Amino acid sequence: MTDAADAQASLEAELKGEILRMYQEVADRPDGEFHFFHGREAAEQFGYNPEWLDRAPAGAVASFAGVGNPHERSAVQPGETVLDLGSGAGLDAIISSWRTGPDGKVIGVDLNPSMCIKAQAHAASMGTTMECHEGTMEKIPIGDAVADVIISNGVINLSFHKRKVAEEMFRVLKPGGRISITDIVSAKQLSQSIVNDPKLWAS
Amino acid sequence: MFRLLEESGFTKVRSAVVPGFRFRKGSTQNSAEAFGVKAVMMTALKPE
Repeated sequence: MTDAADAQASLEAELKGEILRMYQEVADRPDGEFHFFHGREAAEQFGYNPEWLDRAPAGAVASFAGVGNPHERSAVQPGETVLDLGSGAGLDAIISSWRTGPDGKVIGVDLNPSMCIKAQAHAASMGTTMECHEGTMEKIPIGDAVADVIISNGVINLSFHKRKVAEEMFRVLKPGGRISITDIVSAKQLSQSIVNDPKLWAS
Repeated sequence: MFRLLEESGFTKVRSAVVPGFRFRKGSTQNSAEAFGVKAVMMTALKPE
């Protein structure tokens, strides 16, 4: 590898570590203070149905770290397969499972295997099931044309390779499938000092 | 992201600003505003 490629690989590895650390901390210490709103306060701010939040496992609600409400336009139907990219502690996956019903399926993908375990435990506590795979959104660990709907909440902005993420979402969707994602975008090119700082990028 | 979705083959790509999104810390929010950072909802279809 060239020096530039080495530096990029190093930066990406550092970013991955920072993402794992930050979101693990939200899950482990949901009463902590972060630079973003999280938990029920954030979910209500984005218009999540309060009845969903009352019904969902407290741990999944407390660890919510999304930036919007992907359910607002996902139009999930009974029997559909939903993929949640960056499923975290599982709140969005659980809400989706209520909408797909027993004939549907929810698949989570998360960088952090312990979050998959946590999300599946939260789902099981509700009497529902979700698959969850450790993996990245640049190489989604499921086959072609599997999902009817992809949801994601505040995750894609963390990737250095957003084109690859878009291509992967296209690959795993069934023809006629759809995405409903909420995320952070920037109108201006971020400064190199931000790009080179994994703590800021992970924010 | 909007352009990347279209270039990847998605159609009917739509986006809308998520109302009310902001960072908890004022300093982070100020920096975000300086760079035009906002939360958006994006929807798109994979053609049949």
